[in-house]
Amino acid sequence: MTTASPQVPTEAPGSRARGAWHALRFPLAVAAVLLTVSVLASLGSEQFPTGHLEPGSVEPDGTRALVNVLREDREVEVVRSSEAAAEAVSGAGDAVLVLTMDHRLLPEELERLAGLGADTVLVQPGVNTLEAFAPGVEVSGRSDGESLLGGFSGAGLEPHCDLPAAAAAGPVHLDGELYTASAGTGCYPGGTGDALVRVERDGAAITVLGTGTPLVNDALDRAGNAALALNVMDADTVVWLRPDPPQQEGGASPVELLPPGLRWSLLPLLLTLALLALWQGRRLGALVPEALPVVVRASETTEGRAGLYRSRQARDRVASALRSGFLERNVPRLGLGADASPAAVVSALADRTGDAPEELRALLYPGSPDPWTADDEALLRLADGLDERVRRLQR
Amino acid sequence: MAVTGRAALLALLATVAVAFSGLLGPQAAGVAVALVVLLVALDVLLAASPRAMRLSREGDTSLRLGETATVYVIVTNPTRRRLRGLVRDAWPPSAHASPRSHRLRVDPGERRRVATELTPTRRGDAHAAGVTVRSIGPLGLAGRQRTLRAPWTVRTLPPFHSRRHLPGKLSRLRELEGQHTAMVRGQGSEFDSLRDYVPGDDVRSIDWRATARGDGVVVRTWRPERDRRILVVLDTGRTSAGRVGDTPRLDHAMDAALLLAALAGKAGDRVDFLAYDRRVRAQVRASGRGSQVSRIVEAMAPLEAELVESDPAGLVGTVLGTQGRTRRLVVLLTDLDPASLEEGLLPRLSALTSRHLVMVAAVRDPAVDAMAAERGTSTALYRAGAAERTLGARRRVTAELRRMGVEVVDADPEHIAPALADAYINLKAQGRL
Repeated sequence: MTTASPQVPTEAPGSRARGAWHALRFPLAVAAVLLTVSVLASLGSEQFPTGHLEPGSVEPDGTRALVNVLREDREVEVVRSSEAAAEAVSGAGDAVLVLTMDHRLLPEELERLAGLGADTVLVQPGVNTLEAFAPGVEVSGRSDGESLLGGFSGAGLEPHCDLPAAAAAGPVHLDGELYTASAGTGCYPGGTGDALVRVERDGAAITVLGTGTPLVNDALDRAGNAALALNVMDADTVVWLRPDPPQQEGGASPVELLPPGLRWSLLPLLLTLALLALWQGRRLGALVPEALPVVVRASETTEGRAGLYRSRQARDRVASALRSGFLERNVPRLGLGADASPAAVVSALADRTGDAPEELRALLYPGSPDPWTADDEALLRLADGLDERVRRLQR
Repeated sequence: MAVTGRAALLALLATVAVAFSGLLGPQAAGVAVALVVLLVALDVLLAASPRAMRLSREGDTSLRLGETATVYVIVTNPTRRRLRGLVRDAWPPSAHASPRSHRLRVDPGERRRVATELTPTRRGDAHAAGVTVRSIGPLGLAGRQRTLRAPWTVRTLPPFHSRRHLPGKLSRLRELEGQHTAMVRGQGSEFDSLRDYVPGDDVRSIDWRATARGDGVVVRTWRPERDRRILVVLDTGRTSAGRVGDTPRLDHAMDAALLLAALAGKAGDRVDFLAYDRRVRAQVRASGRGSQVSRIVEAMAPLEAELVESDPAGLVGTVLGTQGRTRRLVVLLTDLDPASLEEGLLPRLSALTSRHLVMVAAVRDPAVDAMAAERGTSTALYRAGAAERTLGARRRVTAELRRMGVEVVDADPEHIAPALADAYINLKAQGRL
């Protein structure tokens, strides 16, 4: 350290931009790869609408299969609102209206559709719908042990009636709601009522199905499901009405529901946060740099050598170091010079420690090969032997 | 520009007020934000300019490592506004400045003094980094901040822990001089003067020739050699950077060198000092009589071990070149590292020993001695073997140095300073200086 002023690290021009590039290039590459993969994956995949009895859906509970079959020999118009349905029915000469998800329609819309006087297929209709289209038909129960969507595991219900559409179709999976009709034909009886009811109303045939199960993609190829569906929708034009959910009117977002004062307090709140950040973040003067001291242990080379000895199992080196350490420390105490002969050292040591000279010679001057370096155990015995001699010498 | 917690609190209150303002929300928000911004801006404008403050310093300029120094900053306010706020006297981290900042209030035309205590943990010079003044406006909401230059340097001197050995070694010196009450005759080797015999003097010191010339019995007094020259050489190369315990070898060597310098100064010898690795890092030449310890301490303070191999040829050349023809004691404080000594210093040592008395002092690492005593497992034995090898190499270098007539002092950090002092006293007692 000199008496110069503190060294402030200087940055080469452009190194900041390079540092930013070094720090950002990996995240940027990952983002680019993710973007490419997702774009490629989305290419060529067509989005189908989903939902129960949805004519465009390819899901098990959709009806795309039935609609495609119907389209082979008749017009199919898929409509989403009662207005469009009324228009389509009026515009076609011979039309049958298929009404699904009728709970989404308001009573006045139902009245209007019923007033069209067209042939109609009602799929699991609600009470309001039954009243509007087929007064006299009542819900009498459900066939047992079936889920709401309708199961179709068994062979299905037998028609047991003389309605041609049903008789020709044979057994059909119609496990759902059951109806009783004061007038008209009931088919597929199952307990407390019939699963299919056909009534006449002002010259129009109203068919009530207790469930939409026979129409869905998954069940269309079982039993007589497809046949029944084609038979009851027997017209030049099939108007398939699956109303969209009614739009919420006058809805307000959560922010709009907040009192205006609270909403507007966000502005001073932002200012508060900015002031808090400035208060806590403003440093009282710059940081002071200082060169770090060198920290290196003086014994580092010795410890490094110990690691090398151990990794190479250098027992011969260790043995000779231990022996020479023993000799260099203790021979001068015996009154011998550093260049004393092994024989003189051994005899002097034997005099002082009382050990047999042969034993000491084997310990200190074993010759080659050295039996004390055979394995780690022998080396430990050598160290113990030397320590024992040191103790006797000091006694 | 700086704001206080009070400004954030004000903005928070404004937020709450707007939240309860109901349908007046938009207007209330606008007014609240404008009000807070206006007050903050006003406070910034009304605060005394920190740039206009005049700073000066006083206080300690040097201390020993481990002590605490106090440095003052005097803030003079020449403006017509009152200065309120914070002052921070910034120092490098190792200086451990405390407190970190001061609250301050200086009326117009007045001045105030703030004290910062420094307890450095590193030897050497610490330079003040700057004084930051944060001036807060009269509302206490916001203010201005500026870092001003106020240069000051505090030099941290070596601690000289071994000073506690000085009285004991001095009393040994006095024994040599014969001034010690327990000694009848001084063991010094240099004739000092004649004086009258007083009962109790050693009869062997009676100068019969002088006694015959005069009336009374006259004795000779002796004193140790004086006015010998000693050169303490500190090796600041890589081997001095290694830490023994928690302190670099260099610092242990400094401690020993300081004790030797203090002792030799008291004994009437002249002490020169030289720090060298590949060039002269510090040098002190004795000027006249008296102790050079304070000058040597000053020269040592900024020294750090460099991570370079020392240049023994240059070292020998410097020692021979800068000194006169007079014989002196050259004390070289280095490490008994066989690799660097055998290749560098040993071949060139004869040039030094032919003219001077050379002493090599080295700090021995107790960690290596502890390693050499490890037993029990094979890993411990490998460590013991490596340590024995290091110790053996040290012994060989020591023997080689002694063969060349060099005095060698090899002791662990606790004992290096007294061991070096003892070696010096022994040389003096033998009259070998």
